[in-house]
Amino acid sequence: MCASAWASGPLVGSELYGERMSLAALELDLEVFSGPFDLLLTLVLREEVDLLELALADVVLAYLDHLEQRGELDLEMATEFIVLVAALLELKSRLMLTDEEQELLDVEPEQAAEELLARMLDARRYRAAATHLGELLAGEHGVRFRAAPVPVSMRRAIVPDLEEGMGAAAGGQDPQILGEAIGRLLLMPPTISIRHISTLRVTVAERLSHLRRLLRRGSFSFEEAVRGADRMTVAVTLFALLELYKRGEADWEQQESFGEIAVHGPAHQARDEVLTG
Amino acid sequence: MTVPEPELARTVEALLFLSSDPLSPAELADASQAGEGAVMAALAVLAEQYAAGRRGIALRELGGGWTFASDPATEDAARRLFSRPRAATLSPAQAETLAIVAYLQPVSRPEIARIRGVSADSATATLLDRGLIEEAGHSQFGAVLYRTTTQFLKLFGLRSLDELPDVARWDPTPEEQAQLRERLLRAGEARTGGGPGADG
Repeated sequence: MCASAWASGPLVGSELYGERMSLAALELDLEVFSGPFDLLLTLVLREEVDLLELALADVVLAYLDHLEQRGELDLEMATEFIVLVAALLELKSRLMLTDEEQELLDVEPEQAAEELLARMLDARRYRAAATHLGELLAGEHGVRFRAAPVPVSMRRAIVPDLEEGMGAAAGGQDPQILGEAIGRLLLMPPTISIRHISTLRVTVAERLSHLRRLLRRGSFSFEEAVRGADRMTVAVTLFALLELYKRGEADWEQQESFGEIAVHGPAHQARDEVLTG
Repeated sequence: MTVPEPELARTVEALLFLSSDPLSPAELADASQAGEGAVMAALAVLAEQYAAGRRGIALRELGGGWTFASDPATEDAARRLFSRPRAATLSPAQAETLAIVAYLQPVSRPEIARIRGVSADSATATLLDRGLIEEAGHSQFGAVLYRTTTQFLKLFGLRSLDELPDVARWDPTPEEQAQLRERLLRAGEARTGGGPGADG
């Protein structure tokens, strides 16, 4: 349904691309397709190329290469490209949604009407209740309550000295008291010691060497690697593990969500070990 | 109940005068070191002394306790003294939001918005600001929950939330409901049936 709405959109007509230097010039060489970008769009929309098999990241990379070659950024073309790729991404993510969720989205008109009705009744009910409250409030018109001042204990500044001083001076204010008051404000408050708070320092490098040490001994579970560690350390260890995976130094398996993560060296290395050991 | 000492009535009167919030019989009894029964009797004595029309002050039972309030007949003079009205009236959005909180408390802002069909952010903020509602923990999804305050009961002349009438009393009649349903269904059919199947 999305694709059809799309095809009628003004952006996809190829005559738009033929005239000026535009996205049509973007040549792609991808796994599932090679040719100009606008042809790819047409094929996707005719469902001749499976969007699910198309790596959109590669399209973006090809565009970036293209940009580099041209050496200048055509703002209009860039906008066009972003709009198109965003639409493709949305289309693709919709395709990836399971049918179950699709069912949730499509509500029968009758059911929708019932829901709407229930909501309208609710809204009506509380609108009437609001009118009632308004009447109550109007009925209390002219009733005031005592507004006691904030108790002394909660006031920001306590000035008993000042009050005493004013009493002593019998009507006149003693300037010295004001001087003392400002003097106290000018003093630097003592610094609060934070020595007892220690900073947590866990570095990826540190956890990397820890994991490598464990790897050298063979395979291990992630649980073992972080036994007794605090949350921060666990998180950083996971980063370190991802780093190892990226560098091809480790591989892992997890049978089920939240299950144990078994970490081992990459497959080829394991084979080497079997051969040598 | 024996006739309370006039002294207790005087003490209770003083406590009510000093407090800006309604005081419950328990609080009064605690402060004056008397039994709750004696305090209730003292309140009865005071109620008679402050009976309508006798003083510029009225003794009111509000928000789960007792409090002094000015006689509405004095409002004009009070307004001249304080040069502002006692409390601004509520906007329709604020009144609706307040009604939903009053009846469904504790209730979250998304829920209020769902019932009203429009966002309740600004109305909620104003009600919070005016001390009519307050935060009351979080829902299981992490949204802040709201409930009404003692201030709300005070300003609306309510002893407790139980004094609010049953909300079902504003439900439309079955005929009205049927009519509404009919109209909705017809609107729905018009939309799904007549929509252009623009496939190109």
